[in-house]
Amino acid sequence: MSRYETNVLLYRLKKDAVFRDRFRADPRRTLADADLTDEEREAFVRWDARKLNDLGGLLHLLISIPGLGAH
Amino acid sequence: MGRIVYAAAMSHVLYPDYYGQNVGPHGRRMVEDLIAVVRDMGRTLVATAPDALVVVADDHLNVFSFDAIPALCVRVGRSVNRMVQDDAIEFDRALDGLPERYPVHEDLANVILEKGMQSGFDFAASWSAPLDHAFLSPVSTLYGDRPVPPLVPFWVNCFVTPQPTAKRCFEAGRHIARVVAEGPWNVAIIATGGLSHFPELSLARVGQSDPVFDRRIVKLMEAGDDDAMTALTAKELHESGSHELLNWLVLLGAVSPARARVRFFGEMGRVDLAALEWDVA
Repeated sequence: MSRYETNVLLYRLKKDAVFRDRFRADPRRTLADADLTDEEREAFVRWDARKLNDLGGLLHLLISIPGLGAH
Repeated sequence: MGRIVYAAAMSHVLYPDYYGQNVGPHGRRMVEDLIAVVRDMGRTLVATAPDALVVVADDHLNVFSFDAIPALCVRVGRSVNRMVQDDAIEFDRALDGLPERYPVHEDLANVILEKGMQSGFDFAASWSAPLDHAFLSPVSTLYGDRPVPPLVPFWVNCFVTPQPTAKRCFEAGRHIARVVAEGPWNVAIIATGGLSHFPELSLARVGQSDPVFDRRIVKLMEAGDDDAMTALTAKELHESGSHELLNWLVLLGAVSPARARVRFFGEMGRVDLAALEWDVA
């Protein structure tokens, strides 16, 4: 599990509006260079917040990403 | 010789719209009742005319990134900004319209930091961290339109494993009490957050609280049972959703052996709300 990378990406999605827009337009391409497992990558691409949480993504990040918040 | 002139702890999402949207009219009414109590507590706080207000709270992954998560952090510098977050979550809409900048009590913050280093508390220092709802929702409710005294924001890592222990947080509070006693200032201290919510920090369990746990810990604080409070384990805090009690443990250390007086306790379901004061005069 790439807990660090997962949470770094979630934090960036929260704070970096340009990155967030790129991700929403093309998540797979935006994460192409990210050091994620296949399971993590698919959870991001499908934006499965519960899966990301199960994989170590922090709740407070998952609920607070503008436009993606799983609250 | 300085002294702690006021001490209180309270839930920190003092924003009726959030509960109205996520819980319904019952939640809105309960937090409105809490807000009325906190405003009344503010009148007591203002009457003590503190030179500084120490605010112990946590970061909701708003301020500290995964570059570095401090276990315990003192905000130093001369002023501190309100956090700005585009499309903020409802929690932080409580910040809308508040002043953009607040004074920091630079001397007290520096002494807490420097004497910490001399006595085994290597706190992190931040010159730039802004304040989110955990700090400013209670402060703005307590003070309303009145001037806010210089702040000493103090962060506890409540959410990113491994967190500091309950005992360590309590001891950090003892350190703050010693610093205050050795200094020239009258100091107020508040801790914010809780009670139980977001058990296990699980998205699947958002909406649950642990009222049995909350009733127990409130009784312990009323009894001044610091031994039981400092014996709380990371597992207990995590499973019940009481991560933010670590903030309260810093305050307990600062005011020990004072006993808490319950000003508000409400079981909402999604979160249990509380406001307590300690008789420190």
